[in-house]
Amino acid sequence: MSESAAAREPLGRRMNRVWRIFGTGLSFACFGIGAVLMGFTVWPVLRLTTTNPRRGIARVQRAVSGSMRVFLWLMKSVGVISYEVHGVEKLRERGQFVVANHPTLIDVVFLVSLMPEVDCIVKQALWRNVFLRWPVFWAGYISNASGEGLVAACAAALNQGRSLMVFPEGTRTRPGQPLTLQRGTAQIALAAPADLRPVTITCNPITLFKGNPWYRVPPRKAHFVISVGDSIPIDAFLAAGEPLPLAARHLTQALTRWFEAACAQQHGILRRETLSKS
Amino acid sequence: MQSTQEIFEQLRGVLQDLFEIDPAHVTLEAHLYNDLEIDSIDTIDLILRLKEITGRKIQPDQFRHVRTVGDAVNAIETLLQHKPAAA
Repeated sequence: MSESAAAREPLGRRMNRVWRIFGTGLSFACFGIGAVLMGFTVWPVLRLTTTNPRRGIARVQRAVSGSMRVFLWLMKSVGVISYEVHGVEKLRERGQFVVANHPTLIDVVFLVSLMPEVDCIVKQALWRNVFLRWPVFWAGYISNASGEGLVAACAAALNQGRSLMVFPEGTRTRPGQPLTLQRGTAQIALAAPADLRPVTITCNPITLFKGNPWYRVPPRKAHFVISVGDSIPIDAFLAAGEPLPLAARHLTQALTRWFEAACAQQHGILRRETLSKS
Repeated sequence: MQSTQEIFEQLRGVLQDLFEIDPAHVTLEAHLYNDLEIDSIDTIDLILRLKEITGRKIQPDQFRHVRTVGDAVNAIETLLQHKPAAA
């Protein structure tokens, strides 16, 4: 390789990196502007032109799901991310309790884009966020502010045949730290009771993780793999007749092991594919 | 009337039954939330169990300031000093 070629290679990479910073900023700007515009126009119209509040919420959720697909298409088109989804047909069924690991900021975007109607738990800070407060309000998402009432509210949503999506970690994973799940997910599953539909999300190279600002883009384009797993039946955890707090601990442990294994496998497959390509 | 030590031992048993907490970790100084990983929903179950055992009505207020195992033992002791509330 000539000296000039060696010098050109990093320049190309550098230009690609700068482009991806621009593309990420552009995508997020569109997201914010879109959220505000829709939050004041389309979402309230969809919600308020029916007298049935549940039908209004379902309409907004389907529209939000569609707009998330547009947002992902934008990020893919400008070359910021690529992604593949496996087992999406398993998400079609209604009234599912979807639980996913949470490596990045846009995990919720993927899940909402894949499910036309789904309730999410939204943290209190977003209800005050200028961009997101109106969309989350019109979509009828569940606030985490209710504390102890939250488990009951989530179980009620599932019992009414709605789908619910939860990140059991409660916040994004810190890379390199062991996976720690909060017990709330298990408590919801046991209270409903509802089987769990696990979704494994991996991102390589990792980007938009906890504490990493959006403009610090990874060395290469980030590739997301989203795999929908087989249902985890709740019966086994109820059958033992244990007190609920104990059953919640056992289910949380089982779920932690499930996600550790699934993430390790998904990363392993990625690594092998990367090696075989190079 | 139970002694403080008896209440403590009984609480240890309850924590093991309900939450599988190793009795060796249950000391008077142990913090319920930080050291024993008892969350807010567990607290509800714990109070329900204590109601059964003591036969006393428990107002959530009485446990609001409980932070450590020692605080819980004191709160239970205070409960037991009072006659069962008239139903």
